[in-house]
Amino acid sequence: MHVDPKREVVQSKGGRIGMALLLIVVFLAMFAPLLTTYEPLEQTVQIFAAPSWEHPLGTNHVGQDIWSQLVYAARTSLLVGLLVAVFSTVLSALIGTSAALIGGVYDRIVMRLVDAFIIIPIIILLILLSVYFNPNLSSGPLLIGIGVLIVIAVIGISLYAVRNLGWVGMLIVCPLIALVLLSRDIIQSTGGLIIILALLCWQGGARVVRAQALSLKENAYISAVQGFGASIRYIIRRHIIPELGPLLVADFIFCVRRAVFLQAGLAFIGIGDPNVVSWGSMISDARDWIFLDVWVWWLLPAGIALSVTIVAVTLIGYSLEPALDPRLRGEVSAQN
Amino acid sequence: MFTRQNLIIYLVALLIILTLNFLLPRMMPGNPIIAIYGDVAVVQMSPELEAELTERFSLDQSLGRQFVSYWAALFRGDLGYSYAYNAPVAEVIFGRLPWTLLLAGLALVISTIMGILLGIESGWRRGKRLDGSLLTGMITLSGFPDFLLGILLLLLFAVNLQLLPLFGAESAYSDLGGFQRLADIGKHLLLPLVTLVLARVSGGYLLTRNAFIGELKEPYILLARAKGLKQETIRYRHAGRNSLLPVMTRTGVLLGLMVTGVLFVEIVFSYPGIGLATYEALTYRDYPLLQGLLLVSAICVLTANFIADLFYSKVDPRVSYAR
Amino acid sequence: MYRFKHVVLFMLSVLLLVFPACSGTSTEPSAVYSYVIADPTGDWGYPSPYLRYARGPGYIRSSFIFDTLVWRDKSQFTPALAKEWSYDEADNAYVFKLQQNARWHDGMPFTADDVAFTVEYLKEHPDPFVTLLGPSGISRAEVVDEHTVKLYLESEYAPFLYEVAGTMVILPEHIWKSVDNPMSFDSPEAVIGTGPYMLADYNKAQGTYLYKAFDDYYQGKPIADQIVFVKVSDEVVTSALIQGEVNAASILPEMVNAMKANDFAVISCPYGWCAKLTINHKIEPLNDKKFRQAMAYAIDRQKLVDVTQRGHAIPGSQGLLPPNNRWYNPDIEQYNYDPGKARQLLSELGYELSNNGYLSKDGEILELDLITQTAYGFKDVGQFIKDNLEDVGIKTNLIVMEGKSLDAKVEAWDFDISIYGHGGLYEPSILPKVITGQGFNSARYTSNDKLNRILEDQLHEMDPDTRLQLVQEAQALYAEDIPAITLYYPDWYWAHDGTVDIYYSDEGVASGIPIPLNKAAFLGK
Repeated sequence: MHVDPKREVVQSKGGRIGMALLLIVVFLAMFAPLLTTYEPLEQTVQIFAAPSWEHPLGTNHVGQDIWSQLVYAARTSLLVGLLVAVFSTVLSALIGTSAALIGGVYDRIVMRLVDAFIIIPIIILLILLSVYFNPNLSSGPLLIGIGVLIVIAVIGISLYAVRNLGWVGMLIVCPLIALVLLSRDIIQSTGGLIIILALLCWQGGARVVRAQALSLKENAYISAVQGFGASIRYIIRRHIIPELGPLLVADFIFCVRRAVFLQAGLAFIGIGDPNVVSWGSMISDARDWIFLDVWVWWLLPAGIALSVTIVAVTLIGYSLEPALDPRLRGEVSAQN
Repeated sequence: MFTRQNLIIYLVALLIILTLNFLLPRMMPGNPIIAIYGDVAVVQMSPELEAELTERFSLDQSLGRQFVSYWAALFRGDLGYSYAYNAPVAEVIFGRLPWTLLLAGLALVISTIMGILLGIESGWRRGKRLDGSLLTGMITLSGFPDFLLGILLLLLFAVNLQLLPLFGAESAYSDLGGFQRLADIGKHLLLPLVTLVLARVSGGYLLTRNAFIGELKEPYILLARAKGLKQETIRYRHAGRNSLLPVMTRTGVLLGLMVTGVLFVEIVFSYPGIGLATYEALTYRDYPLLQGLLLVSAICVLTANFIADLFYSKVDPRVSYAR
Repeated sequence: MYRFKHVVLFMLSVLLLVFPACSGTSTEPSAVYSYVIADPTGDWGYPSPYLRYARGPGYIRSSFIFDTLVWRDKSQFTPALAKEWSYDEADNAYVFKLQQNARWHDGMPFTADDVAFTVEYLKEHPDPFVTLLGPSGISRAEVVDEHTVKLYLESEYAPFLYEVAGTMVILPEHIWKSVDNPMSFDSPEAVIGTGPYMLADYNKAQGTYLYKAFDDYYQGKPIADQIVFVKVSDEVVTSALIQGEVNAASILPEMVNAMKANDFAVISCPYGWCAKLTINHKIEPLNDKKFRQAMAYAIDRQKLVDVTQRGHAIPGSQGLLPPNNRWYNPDIEQYNYDPGKARQLLSELGYELSNNGYLSKDGEILELDLITQTAYGFKDVGQFIKDNLEDVGIKTNLIVMEGKSLDAKVEAWDFDISIYGHGGLYEPSILPKVITGQGFNSARYTSNDKLNRILEDQLHEMDPDTRLQLVQEAQALYAEDIPAITLYYPDWYWAHDGTVDIYYSDEGVASGIPIPLNKAAFLGK
């Protein structure tokens, strides 16, 4: 049964609100240089200045413009969220379908691995890894490799989005590409983090994808197509992936949510490049000064921005749920 | 998913973690004791301590022998030595674990119960005002990370209104006994607990609500209504109970992640549990403590998952039947 | 069964029941009067002389338990275990007449044997706070009678009372004579001293200390029955003070006015702590004095203070000692902010500006790694300095790491430039410690023979005027060579509720610790 994710999101009130909010955040992130007068890391002597025309949200403890930090931090969260989701979704799709189609020992091993990973406590593993490995990517070949991966993944997802999601797809893809291009410097310092997060996020999606692919495999018309001589690759491309589409879209969105949450949390405890501005690090810095009144225009906006972004993504994801679980359709209350 | 197979998975996961724990520091270039303890610690270590540790973990011998002595140490319960606390890692961890279990356990129970109750009530009234506002409220709440909620609550109640304590699990050296001590601990628990409950309740709520709505469409509900059963009975004894499965699954997962899930809240409220110890180990680069914490959390996760599996195989007969 | 409102009522009633039960506790008066002090770090080691951390707060925590021969209150030396002392010029020795009725916490009497024993023990097991070996040390201790001891010095040592008699804690012979390994001696006997307080509890993990008053203290019973140290982070400490959970704490300058408005006494520290840019002067190009001078000209220290310290500090003097210090030399080169001069010096050294904005020589871009730590707000200081240096063309990479990891790297000379802080800037005896000394707080600069000689000579110059001249010349030479750049002296404040009148000593506690926890205050002195 074909579910059109685009239609689901647009028709649901929650989905519309979510998209609108997300678009605002994306807009802020993309046009950051145009919307700000100061560089986010520029220190001035105006310490804890109250909001004014010059500094719309005032300044922090070293005279940095908070509005500017807020807007540039959007780039960090969106970039990490989107790229982690991109890698993770691609991984789940590949691993899930291959496990379903190839089956046998490969399938058993993969699924055991997936189950084992779901159990591992992520935060502490991330902390341990960050202590041993510097999350900065400074070596040339690694950087090029990452760059190539990003390009491939982004192109892949863009094609799918444009083909199947129409104008909504364009709406998603264009800002994504724009963001990636604009934030190249952030990629260099957060690249390692993105990869590690992606490696810890694909498991949930893979399980679901495999289940769906398995049921599709049993589906009569697949056998029919196979009877006509279609190869595995063709089947995957032409039949399975389009069916999996909505599932992958939902998975993508929840992955974005999780990645944004995790990155903010890690930035809060100080893991990550200190030169990269993010809402998590802003909240962490603001926390040191909560006994002054400055938190109103420092802590609060950063917190609200972070929450709005996560809520927006949640709303979009939630609006897709009826599509995946038809039992949730209908507006009738059970109470008589 | 079932017990014996799961047991194997869990053991495999544990093995992976333990091996990683063992390999990571030893893969770093240089003196293994520096890799294991960090160059910081070694500088501050007395030569006697350094010699003793080298001997205890066979650090001057081959990788194979080291692996053996690593396992031997684990079986002895020896998780290494924390230089930041100047005490055995096991002592540090197990000294703090009870506080975390108290906080996380209470939070889990309360947020799950609240989530279920609110989810059922909300699902029952789907489309009406209560459902609408609860749903909106919960989704909004779900967007707030727990550390943000914690800071806001701390700001409001402790810093500005000065109603509640600002840090710790109980007042230091206050010489309180019995009920007074309990009350003191409760006062310190209140804000972190509320933070955790607020952060977690939306998850349980949404799952329950969805499952409940689904259940209501089942034919047996129609039959129950036709039989003329009271609304509350249908709500709780029938539809409610049958929609518990997703939430209980999630609770099982959360039970395992209980110990590490309170990291941010403990940091914000300076609550002396495992989470704060992790943060301190991180800032001091106390590798042995971090490794010990990973190990203990992994074991907690596995144990909790195991218990959860046992538990809901009993609760929901459909699960065992499907096998 | 249940309705929705029942659920809500249930939850509310749980909260309502819990709340009043809890709120009564904090206002209940305790039977014992307790003085609570907040500290953001918490744990400073077990307060025995060998297990305390080798930093100021570690010493302070052991100072309540152990006494020295001589002590210092607000501005002068006062009797401690020695009630009188005199200097025997002929023998170059100090004669101390000891207290007759001082007792150890376990009841044993204190005698001159304990002092003599301590001197020998410390020579064999060095204590980071006191040096008894070498030209500034004690050659031998002589027990004249049960309550008189004579300490013979190796050579004339000007700051003897300050550095040794006022810092060296006396150990009980009857306990320590059988201790071969002081670093692992952590039993309760290790904290038996003659001081006004005894250690009742120490919790490493929580970072808390509990001291109980020693009623038989020879100078009288202390004011507070108990002293408690608790670990509280900076951002909530002011609320803790106002809520009455804490009696005294260090506060950030931004809170001074609010604390005064809440009827707290606020005391300020005479500048005794500095932040420095430590330089690895063993490698190129930092081994060239001119390069270091260029860096000094490139850093706008006044603006650094205004931005990163929010105006609550004064720019550093390149002679190291702060302007309020009586040994300060006002006539030395301060390298006032002059980026033009910096660029000129750099070009004299052969560096040219390439088209990417950075200087290069022989085709190699000039690049430095600046490592800093997260504590003391040094991360922002690092960012500021990076901007200043890049402004004159020196490419700077900012690396932030935790304090102790940084200590290890600096100790191993594995760095280019780094940001450091240390205290003790009162008595000139600090100068050799942080210029030629080998600790990682020191510049470890020994290439200037004249400076080395003067630094050593001033320690043994007994005539104050001559000594002043030597110290001033040392500052001038140090400023000329500039092996490390003094960045600023921060304004430090403590707030307390007045129940004990704590104060800052003019030259710090013991050998220059800038913390206002002088045990004399707890005796009402």
